[in-house]
Amino acid sequence: MTEQLSSSVAGSAVVYLVLVTLIGIWAAKRTSSARDFFIAGQNIGWVVAAFATMSAAFSGFVFMGGPGLMYRLGVASLFICVPVGFTSGLLCWVVGKRLRLLAGLQEIYTIPDVILCRYQSRCASGLASVAIVIGTVGYLGAQLQALGILVETVFETRALFGQWSFLAAMILGSIVVVFYATAGGMLAGVYTDLFQGSLMVIAAVVVFFYCLHAGGGLETMSRSIAESAVFGPSHLDPFGTLSIKSAMGFFFVFSVGVLGQPHMLHKFFMLKDPRTLKWMPLTIGLTQSACILIWLGIGLAVPALVSQGLMLPLSNPDFAAPQFLLKFTPGFLTGLVFAGVLAAIMSTADSFLNIGSAAIVRDLPKAFGGQIRNELLWGRVVVVGLASVSVIFAFLYRDLIALVGTFAFGTFAAALAPAVAVGLNWRRVTGTAASASIATGIVVNLGLEFLSKQSFIEWLPDTPLTEGALPAAVALGASFCVLLAISMLSPKGLKGGMDSDVDFVMDL
Amino acid sequence: MFKDLRKRTGESPRLFVNSDVVRRRALIYLAMASTAIVLSSRFSGFFVDLSMVILVMGFPTALICLAVTKNGKLGPLKVPLAVLTVVLESCGIAMFLLRGRVALEPFFGGFPVAAAFQLYGLWLGPLLLVGLAYGLTFEHWELRDSDLRRFEDRRCGSGEDAEK
Repeated sequence: MTEQLSSSVAGSAVVYLVLVTLIGIWAAKRTSSARDFFIAGQNIGWVVAAFATMSAAFSGFVFMGGPGLMYRLGVASLFICVPVGFTSGLLCWVVGKRLRLLAGLQEIYTIPDVILCRYQSRCASGLASVAIVIGTVGYLGAQLQALGILVETVFETRALFGQWSFLAAMILGSIVVVFYATAGGMLAGVYTDLFQGSLMVIAAVVVFFYCLHAGGGLETMSRSIAESAVFGPSHLDPFGTLSIKSAMGFFFVFSVGVLGQPHMLHKFFMLKDPRTLKWMPLTIGLTQSACILIWLGIGLAVPALVSQGLMLPLSNPDFAAPQFLLKFTPGFLTGLVFAGVLAAIMSTADSFLNIGSAAIVRDLPKAFGGQIRNELLWGRVVVVGLASVSVIFAFLYRDLIALVGTFAFGTFAAALAPAVAVGLNWRRVTGTAASASIATGIVVNLGLEFLSKQSFIEWLPDTPLTEGALPAAVALGASFCVLLAISMLSPKGLKGGMDSDVDFVMDL
Repeated sequence: MFKDLRKRTGESPRLFVNSDVVRRRALIYLAMASTAIVLSSRFSGFFVDLSMVILVMGFPTALICLAVTKNGKLGPLKVPLAVLTVVLESCGIAMFLLRGRVALEPFFGGFPVAAAFQLYGLWLGPLLLVGLAYGLTFEHWELRDSDLRRFEDRRCGSGEDAEK
């Protein structure tokens, strides 16, 4: 990187970090209760909620992992992100209204709170908390990995820190996020998300046009890739590089699975007025689609440029985005884009720190029948601990960013989606069915992921799945099966034991 | 199967009492589809793959139907949800049938036809359809004024109870 480019990137990063820190300080002054810390005082409008949902959902995975995955797998990788065409509507129709109304009637800050209220089952709520803690560590790990790769590429830290540069970069990034997540909680989270989300949309749209310019337009890029010896036509075939099982598995997990993502569901609790849901699906869908342009743009442009001989083939697919930005965008824009990527990573990390902290400080003690007195103080302490564990996890569990992201997303999807989505719309679902479904989601997903990746315990069997079957999709399917089967076969309905507020909300 | 269940348990499970045809069909679809998705992880073949495509594409709409049905009706959402189902299913089947033929296909919108189905059919088409359908039917179906009044009454009642 040239000195001029380096200083423009560093300058943008400094401006970005100062603004985020100022928002954190502003929010810290307004955070005086657990309600402020965990659900932003239930006082945000639909634009802020929509941007916060989008920026929490879209992370370094979309900006860094996505283009890398598309370089490796072609358009088949888009099965992960094309569901955004309808997932915002799916979210609002299936759970959004009911979550918001329930949070207006009871003290509900988290998804385990909803599960406890809906099923009156501490077991189901406790299992949901465990799933959230496991998924949070995975998700945070993925964010910090993305941050490590970004910093290594831009600042060439390997020359300074040698083999420890990746760990050093991750630690540096987590210190910044921990600062504003600890000080301002979710109030800081949603307003930094609004800022970060706007930055992400602008950066993604501008980069997309640079991709079109660099590659010569959509059709030229497509034809270059199809005619290339390195990639070939299968790169542009939706079922070309992935088996149908894998492709549909991704589509299933990333469409239906959004119903179990606590960082997205959480935003519904924060809405000031239920009527503001009206235009949320369109706003979330449009902003998510704008962000995905960076995945599509760089994911098409880099293979096209390699095919045209304008770039060398990449040694690591995860370097697709950084390499393109450094070579094909002007200096001043590179700074903006790197700030956008930083924003994507930090907004998601912040949301997970808050949700993980709530699970540990609030939900797990409740599951055991207790309660921590000063939730605000302990919430802040746990944010620091959780970030430290995640750094260790990310350093030890080295894999492609996209795969780690999928692993965590799949854990949430398989564990929580059926219990929340079906449970809030069908009275017959019991606490036993919900507990069994959540446990199935966690065990099947973690078990299959572990068996498919481990090689150090020789006596363990290989994964029982046929080639191409996605552990997260199987776990999500199994979790739905268990929930529906137990509910259908249970002789008694839950009417007598159901909370009257839940019953009321399910009637609307 | 359900009649047997009713006889066996000696009760009227709420699956039948308070549910309607749309809801019942959605639940049966979800149960069958999720079972098939799990089973497909152990088998391979043309029909297994085709079934997987069809069942996965229908899953989101089945969940939406389960959530939005009121007294057995989908109201103003009937047409948008039918269109969404047709779009998702037809794009899924089209991509399935066109697999491996990219080199022979014409281009549409800058992409080979199969990829165009994926991008324009699965992503951009539903984006406007779903967003507008939700917004335009919100006050007539999703959260009506009468629902809001009932909610506010209950909320005020809860607040007063809490104060007492």
